[in-house]
Amino acid sequence: MKDKHIVNLLESAPLAELSERDLSEVRAHACECAGCLQAFEAAQIATLLLKERTAETFEPSAFFHTRVMATLRERQTTNEQWAWSRIWRAAGALASSMAATVAALAVLTFVIPGQVTTVTPETTAFSAYSAEEVILDHGESDEQVSDGQVLTTLYGADEDR
Amino acid sequence: MAGSRFPGVRHPNSLNREHFLSNSCEEASDLALARRAREGDESAFEEIMRRYSPRVFRFASRFFRQRSLVEEAAQEVFLKAFTQLGSYRGRGSMEGWLTRITTNTCLNLLRSSKRRPELRVSDLTEDESTWLDNQMAEAATERHKSSERSSVAADLAERVLHTLSPDDQLVLILIDGEDASVKEVVEMTGWSASKVKVQAFRARRRMREGVEKLLAPKAKAGSKSI
Repeated sequence: MKDKHIVNLLESAPLAELSERDLSEVRAHACECAGCLQAFEAAQIATLLLKERTAETFEPSAFFHTRVMATLRERQTTNEQWAWSRIWRAAGALASSMAATVAALAVLTFVIPGQVTTVTPETTAFSAYSAEEVILDHGESDEQVSDGQVLTTLYGADEDR
Repeated sequence: MAGSRFPGVRHPNSLNREHFLSNSCEEASDLALARRAREGDESAFEEIMRRYSPRVFRFASRFFRQRSLVEEAAQEVFLKAFTQLGSYRGRGSMEGWLTRITTNTCLNLLRSSKRRPELRVSDLTEDESTWLDNQMAEAATERHKSSERSSVAADLAERVLHTLSPDDQLVLILIDGEDASVKEVVEMTGWSASKVKVQAFRARRRMREGVEKLLAPKAKAGSKSI
């Protein structure tokens, strides 16, 4: 052990928990190794510092309990208010979405059908007539073509021949 | 909380009733108190605080040197405890349950506080420097203490600890300072045993190196003067 550095041994456990055998080995090595001696001294001082640090303690003040209870009540009140405001906000959002839906339905019911009312049965009939006209006569009615014209169309060509 | 509806006007039996309630609180088990506090009985929670606040304060004092910080930590512990009363089933002791909450609260507060950079000899106060000189001079002899010197040492310890990470501070304070076992630290923190051991090993190294840096210039100065 004398020729082995003892740094790892120092850090493996608190100094107070090192066995007497380990400590004597540490001391023996530290006598011959300046680096380990410094590490050992530093470890001893570090242990002492920690002991001094943990020896200090505070007691609760006379008003501590009162203060905690007051904070607790305050937080509970805040939480309740927050819960109510959340419910209120949720209700507001629901109400506004419902109002928007009603408005949209009203527009669909009263405004858009009003434009469709221009389509009357007469216009529908006119449209049907117009379609027939387009398909059969290209805009000319039977009455507009005279019998003579028809005969000329049918037999005029033969006569020409 | 037992009390009259009209302050100053007391029912003839109210004193006896209050006396009975306070006695019943004092004698009630922790589990019964927790159940009553959960149901909204403030006097039950006050009794829990009365029983355990000295312990919580003592434990939080290990992590903070300013009284205001200790009080802040302790208050946070009891506020958390109140909201988590439902999780206390009475399987373990209430003291252990509160110690776990205290450990986590202190660790969180340490994490939120700014870590100091490396501590150098030039950063030490005169008292701290003298304390270190004395320790080196008395290295071979038995160290004696005085309250003044203890305070200086605690200041210096605080400064050295603040250069370490919160996890390092926690294990050093608990294991090396409080003589807690690895198993106890595992229970307090919820870390694995191997994490606690490795953390403690590394924390000791970092603490020792921090102190060694403070000692090195003094050792050099000492050898020069010789």
